[in-house]
Amino acid sequence: MRIPEPDNHSNLSSSYDFVSEAGPSCVTLDKASHSNGINKENGYSAPVSNGTTSNGSPTMGNGLAKHSSSIMRVSLPGTTLYDDPYLDREEFVRLVIQSLRDVGYIESAATLEAESGYSLEAPEVSEFRQHILRGAWADAEHLLVELGVTDADALLDARFLIGKQKYLELLEARKTTAALQVLRNDLAPYSTSSEQEELHVLSSLMMCSDPQDLRRRASWDGASGISRRQLLDDLQHYIPSSTMIPQRRFSTLLTQSREYQRLRCLYHNSAVDPSSSSLFSDHTCDKESFPRITTTILEVHSDEVWNVAWSHDGTHLASASKDKTAIIWRIGLEAEPSSRDCIAEFILRDHPYALGCLAWSLDDSILSTSADNLILLWNTKTGALMKTLENHGETVSALVWLPDGSGFMSGSLDRKIIFWDMEGELRESWNDIAIRVTDAAVTPDVRRLVAVGMGYNPPPALGTLARANVRDASPPIVSNGNGNAVGPRSPENRMIIYDLKTGQVELSVHMEGELTSVKISEDSRYALINHAPDEIHLWDLQEFRLARKFTGQRQGHHVIRSCFGGIDGNFVISGSEDRNVYVWHRDTGTLLEVLDGHGLGSVNSVAWNPRNKRMFASCSDDNTIRVWEAPVSAGELLRGFGISASEPEMIGKGKGKVKQPWTYNDGGL
Amino acid sequence: MGMKYRRYLAGERIYGCSKCKTHLATIHSMISRAFNGQHGRAYLFDGVVNVVEGEPNDRQMTTGNHTVRDIYCVKCATVLGWKYDRAYEQSQQYKEGKYILERNLLVDVQ
Ligand SMILES: [Zn+2]
Repeated sequence: MRIPEPDNHSNLSSSYDFVSEAGPSCVTLDKASHSNGINKENGYSAPVSNGTTSNGSPTMGNGLAKHSSSIMRVSLPGTTLYDDPYLDREEFVRLVIQSLRDVGYIESAATLEAESGYSLEAPEVSEFRQHILRGAWADAEHLLVELGVTDADALLDARFLIGKQKYLELLEARKTTAALQVLRNDLAPYSTSSEQEELHVLSSLMMCSDPQDLRRRASWDGASGISRRQLLDDLQHYIPSSTMIPQRRFSTLLTQSREYQRLRCLYHNSAVDPSSSSLFSDHTCDKESFPRITTTILEVHSDEVWNVAWSHDGTHLASASKDKTAIIWRIGLEAEPSSRDCIAEFILRDHPYALGCLAWSLDDSILSTSADNLILLWNTKTGALMKTLENHGETVSALVWLPDGSGFMSGSLDRKIIFWDMEGELRESWNDIAIRVTDAAVTPDVRRLVAVGMGYNPPPALGTLARANVRDASPPIVSNGNGNAVGPRSPENRMIIYDLKTGQVELSVHMEGELTSVKISEDSRYALINHAPDEIHLWDLQEFRLARKFTGQRQGHHVIRSCFGGIDGNFVISGSEDRNVYVWHRDTGTLLEVLDGHGLGSVNSVAWNPRNKRMFASCSDDNTIRVWEAPVSAGELLRGFGISASEPEMIGKGKGKVKQPWTYNDGGL
Repeated sequence: MGMKYRRYLAGERIYGCSKCKTHLATIHSMISRAFNGQHGRAYLFDGVVNVVEGEPNDRQMTTGNHTVRDIYCVKCATVLGWKYDRAYEQSQQYKEGKYILERNLLVDVQ
């Protein structure tokens, strides 16, 4: 808003806002502090521990009024900041003023107000804020209409919020009678039906034994906490934002901009790090630091490798093979691949069939494996077989340790999902579910279980069937070239989302193709499902819809698995029947990399290291496992090739200064 | 090759491997019950699933000379019957590409 007179002192000083929560102004000050010596001295209040106070040296302090009166108002044409019609100059300047005040540059803010002719907000807004923060409820209520809360319902809502705070504070101060009066006179008469319920809860707080109990039961932090500031935030909804600018608005916008840049960063794979981020340049992660070269090939299996899984601490990798063994590999922690030991620590034999699944217990002490219908539990410290579980009647297709530490879950083509305790004792079994499970996963928040599989068609009753057959003349099974046969009713594929606690089906979705893998994102929001032919589906579990498809990889009739990976699960990777590994950007579906290296056959499964976000593993029909990492950085290349032992002198001469090799070291992982 | 789950059939009558219950064929795909195998009665099927085919070899049968392959259960490797690659006698050529499963090695499964 515009200041009527550019150098009107009273106007300027009355719009002081010392109550915003930032920096040095985080100490709530009432109006009285305006008259203290510090304010007169340098125009702002902070005897606060912030470096800026030292700047307000007495020699500079010539007093706000005098200072600002010497400022000439600059009048500019138009109303925009630059050419962009969306960038309003007044709005921009007011945000700058707000930010300056928040951090304590009070005099600069005043100067800007004087020079621009814009002020942060009308005097009544700061008065209103003061009233709320000082608990002057009646005064605050009186100002609501002036602040633009003119709608009758909005006014009632805003008064209800204020009344609630007032009531709670009275209770906290043990003024029960006064609190009761507020409840009866201020809150009850105008409350809506939903507020009635709240009133009920509020009145029950009368029974609280002490203020501490009150604060806990009301989830409210008391008059001296942030509750009044929270109230201001809540009241903000009813006051036009042009009248009362939301707190720290500039910072909110900048945070949004950072988030936007992060979302647009396709190769994003580094933690959001304040030291490396700058307002002066857009964020972008270097494509070169993406793990896309093979640094290690693990060759011990004598047949196809069908699955891989990292231990939670990221130091071990387990692999499952058609050769009827699982191997626990120790992957050394050295950042430099060439100096790292990768050894087959244990070869777990004793499996009568080829292996399909692997899962590490939460503390990595137990590895569960599945071979056809059997589940085996292995001690990962000794490599000893602890137990064999034979409860499933068909191939076990899913093994998952539950994030709540209660044990693990198994899913099978026998249409059972079984829950086991830590010792491998059966806790619960879901029998005869609607699908033959081909994979299943549990959300990290332990709320849901997502299972995929082939629908099961129960045989119809015999009597009706005979007639139906005659009438429908069901086509006979047709043999295809591979000697496989297609039944008269091809099985229907489904994804089913269960409530984990109750076992109730939340959603059951028919899917066209065969489903071979399901993984859940860290935030429990998305399920990643391999869907033949040639698709991976990202299901939004919050909105129950297909969010995205990833395409490019090949998947026909084999079990191909995918996973999330990288910082914030920013990537999706999958195996493929064309021997490549495929990498996509999760939030846009952009195909980033097609990584070759594996030999003939399928890449069956992939797994991202949970600790080292720049490393993942893939396994293949070529009997090997590959570990993928970022190429050595450009700097390291230079160190390796450009600066050999005999060359430093030459470089020193050539460039006029000696470059130390370690200058280029980017710190590795 | 890659990993595959065994196939599961749907229908009112499913024949499985008597040793390991692996699904093999349904009554819909049965062509004839009037065959004989090494263990007595055998059935001729249009198509079967979850079997591995052996090497072809010529075998003299009651109905003439045939090129056949033994078929094995994909899970337990039991020899379940054979597949006809070729029938030398014209009258028998309807069997080419079809499968014999021995009744005594079959069991009804769900
Ligand atoms: Zn069998």
